[in-house]
Amino acid sequence: MQEFKSIEIKKEEIVPLAQRMREKGHRLVMIHGYVDKEGKHVVNYQYEVGNCIESYKVVGEDTLPSISEIYDVAAAWPEEELYELMGVKFEGLKMRGRLFLPDTMLEGQGHIIVTPLEELRKKTLKEGE
Amino acid sequence: MGYTIPIGPYHPSLEEPIHAKLYTEGEVIKDAEVFIGYNHRGIEKLATERNFIQTLTLVERVCGICSHSHPFTYAMAIENIAQMEVPKRGQYIRVIMAELERLHSHYLWIGLACHLIGYDSLFMYVWDAREKVMDILEEISGNRVNYGMVIIGGSRRDINDEMRRKVLKMLDDLNEPHNRMKEIFLNDKTAALRTKGVGVLPKDVAERMGTIGPHARASGIRVDVRKDAPYSCYDEFDFDIPVLEDGDVWARVVVRVLEIEESVKIIRQALENLPEGPINLGNKLPKVPAGEFTARHEAPRGQVIYYVVTDGGQTNYRISIHVPTFKTAPTVPYMLKNNTVADAGLIIASIDPCFSCLDR
Repeated sequence: MQEFKSIEIKKEEIVPLAQRMREKGHRLVMIHGYVDKEGKHVVNYQYEVGNCIESYKVVGEDTLPSISEIYDVAAAWPEEELYELMGVKFEGLKMRGRLFLPDTMLEGQGHIIVTPLEELRKKTLKEGE
Repeated sequence: MGYTIPIGPYHPSLEEPIHAKLYTEGEVIKDAEVFIGYNHRGIEKLATERNFIQTLTLVERVCGICSHSHPFTYAMAIENIAQMEVPKRGQYIRVIMAELERLHSHYLWIGLACHLIGYDSLFMYVWDAREKVMDILEEISGNRVNYGMVIIGGSRRDINDEMRRKVLKMLDDLNEPHNRMKEIFLNDKTAALRTKGVGVLPKDVAERMGTIGPHARASGIRVDVRKDAPYSCYDEFDFDIPVLEDGDVWARVVVRVLEIEESVKIIRQALENLPEGPINLGNKLPKVPAGEFTARHEAPRGQVIYYVVTDGGQTNYRISIHVPTFKTAPTVPYMLKNNTVADAGLIIASIDPCFSCLDR
């Protein structure tokens, strides 16, 4: 049967723990977060160790070190999500702007959708003449 | 000259909304980024306002394709916190539904892959086979999707002897079309030309990125919660985990074809050994103490994760839902690189994405 173990850790232990888990070949299942009843951020680093989820909980921190250098996108996406949905900052995380609903969706060149309307209008008028 | 080409969020080759930016040189994609959130419905927040029974109905609507996987996983989390033991027959019915869901989900994506490579006759052939599964799901549950088969503590509806025979007959009827499509994918030149060597994700990269499900298994990684951390009654069945090494679109199709055969094995064993007894513990609102649990289920696309926190009240304090596409979509930019723009739609689709699940 599936098991679950919750362990509270300090912010300083996050990176060494991730390195140890990586070396042992354990998968980072997910980084979950929520705000507790006292209004503190709770961030859970959950690793798959055999049939058990080991959940390492960090409470009351607004800035945490990123483990995306260790776990690549498996950590980067949850960290981006936690930043955008809860405001937890991750030091060392390379943000690309917004992961959810980017503001810069229509930036680009050469495509009809990203060509400014004024230019399209000029082009259409020229072709029509 | 290089161009930045946006694909989506709404695009003919995408079944659901996602936004990708392709940085190209001529026809070749040199880099790419993907962005999500176009299907966000605030389901996690809504769940904190609903009791445990209402939440089942809510989470079933996270996804229309794996609509059994979500309540199944959520119920497991609540049952673990509340220390409830699901009757054996209820567990078997849950597993039968889960594997039938895998059949129709895999056939759906195999069909879509055929459609995207322009092989529409095969697309219709595969979806015709899928309809047999959809019909039986409707007969068992009353619905083609959102089956409502899971309740906290068991299954809502039983599978009687007549239904058992019908499901077994349906599995027999699937044999011929299944073998035919397998033959085509293993030997047909047209299918191979459009899928082999396209959107390759090598094993070491897949491992580094932590991808899961059939997407990982097509890249040589043997990962499957049903074997790695057995739950419900999966440890009572004999089945294999197909793994391929190629890591391309072709491997992603073939691994699903092979997985269907394993699911059929599981369903047959479950139907033939369906235990006697109750199917659930009753339908009263359960008393759930304060606690937390992370439940995992191998849904058709990979691991579905429900992290549930309760505070002793009648609602969830927090549920955090994470689905396979959250682990497979980040691999898309890597797979797109050095492929052509014409293959971008096929490569994005090859992760069998569910953006409805991903965005919640």
